[in-house]
Amino acid sequence: MAEAVCGPAAKMPPRTWGKAVLLTLPIALWSLFMSLRGLLQPNRSLQIASALTAAFMVALFFLMMKTSSTYRWRRWFFVVLGVLFPVGFIHNVMVLRGTMGIPIEEMIAGRTPFCFLPIPLLILPAALTKTLVFPGSILPGGGMSGAGMAAMVGLWLAITLVVGKGWCSYACFFGGIEEGMAALPKKAQWKKIDPRLRLVPWAVLLVMVLLSLALFEPAYCMWLCPFKAVSEYVAARNTLGLIQNGIFVLLFAALVIVLPLLTKKRTQCSFLCPFGAFQSIFNKTSVFDIKIDRTRCSPCVLCQKSCPTMSLTDDSIKKGETLMSCMKCGACVDACPKGAAVWHIKGTEVAVKPERARLMFLYAAWAMAAMFGGSIITEGLATILHLVL
Amino acid sequence: MTSPTAKLGYTAAGMTVVVAMLVPFLLMGIFAKGFTKLGLHVDEMYSGGPTARIIQAQGYTIEVHRAVYPHMLQTEKPFVQLDWKPAAALPAHVTESVDIDGDGQPDIRVSFAVPKDPKTPMRVDVDSLNPRYQAMHNVGKPKFSELIVRVDDTILVRVPLTKQ
Repeated sequence: MAEAVCGPAAKMPPRTWGKAVLLTLPIALWSLFMSLRGLLQPNRSLQIASALTAAFMVALFFLMMKTSSTYRWRRWFFVVLGVLFPVGFIHNVMVLRGTMGIPIEEMIAGRTPFCFLPIPLLILPAALTKTLVFPGSILPGGGMSGAGMAAMVGLWLAITLVVGKGWCSYACFFGGIEEGMAALPKKAQWKKIDPRLRLVPWAVLLVMVLLSLALFEPAYCMWLCPFKAVSEYVAARNTLGLIQNGIFVLLFAALVIVLPLLTKKRTQCSFLCPFGAFQSIFNKTSVFDIKIDRTRCSPCVLCQKSCPTMSLTDDSIKKGETLMSCMKCGACVDACPKGAAVWHIKGTEVAVKPERARLMFLYAAWAMAAMFGGSIITEGLATILHLVL
Repeated sequence: MTSPTAKLGYTAAGMTVVVAMLVPFLLMGIFAKGFTKLGLHVDEMYSGGPTARIIQAQGYTIEVHRAVYPHMLQTEKPFVQLDWKPAAALPAHVTESVDIDGDGQPDIRVSFAVPKDPKTPMRVDVDSLNPRYQAMHNVGKPKFSELIVRVDDTILVRVPLTKQ
């Protein structure tokens, strides 16, 4: 119980260089191992990109260890991931297909790339009819089908088992752009946001799940996904296609660019993303969470203001909890001047060895980030290097 | 003293770190394999359904797929898919009467040009010789249920079925 602390000003002090290096060592080895595949390729751009990515991931983890701040450094990873994903993806699409629009023949051939967003929409049709309502391949099918739907589902399940809703902070390759946008202004212009808007993603999830079952198509991908604007879109063969693409661009501009700038929140994640709502369920299965130590909390609501997804309310702070939409980004922990917002392992006492909880979570989450996000960052970097060198 | 629930919590947290290490080497593969073993299949509106029979022609084959019917509120019509392959062995213009249901009588007459450049958009004419199948004239790829497209070395024609 050496770290058990009482009273105010219980923030973890900065570590010494030696301790920080020592704590970073396992992640350094892991990142090096994860980058080996790229380093051993004959492609020079890929070799440099792999080395840079490994160094970037290790440097960020070291800074997390040295400063005991999580959110600040994680955000760098997440923004870089969000920006470089479209770079690598669009380059691949253009090379393999020549257009960002998905032609109907590519859907028939099962070569539509499958991301994690439609996973909750596939469950009901699959359970009721054994049918996957997505024009992709279960196994690798060549072209843009990538490793296939099974690989994506396997990866999602495995990472979810480890980090739960932390997926949205350490694995999602879409949220980074809006997190970057939200970081740009010093102060939020729009401070009063109706808390009921937090329920919208659940409503979107319910409607999209039912629509996907009724129409037997991934309804969210067809109608609402803002990230179609920076990945691939329905080839506009007719007016309907034009309307669909118009919706994608509008939602992207509003929820990923403009509103994060005005509110300093991840507005797409907070007010639209059905996958995020679905992923919240796995906060219940995750052993890690964030708690508010009521003995230290003087309700300054800095944690509430700093939360990018509005996962803290007056009521939840009184209960010493975050809402189930908490994605364990660590913003509230970093923001709390009293050290009242703490990392926590379920079953243990609140604020007893919170740094141990943070370390255990970060080892697991950063291992996933280096493995999955790292590979995407490498691909984006390699694309840029390939075009520049 | 650490309580039993705290011990359980720390054990679970430690196991989570171990599980994280196993993700790329073991877990991802196990889950992916498990998913493939669920016996799921991609919606036939996209895949065209399984092949029902193969008609041998001179130097190429026509694969006749099982008819595909829309689910629930799907807006497509029921259709049957025919695959001409290999496209490289096809003449410059294909005009063919096809017996879809295998009763010895031709059901449709299909006519399309085979462009040398695989990226050239295609058009197809289908005359109905059996009221079960709908005619199509100068059709490209407006819908999943009525189209002609080239996928690799195969030319796919989807002929819509009449509602009865």
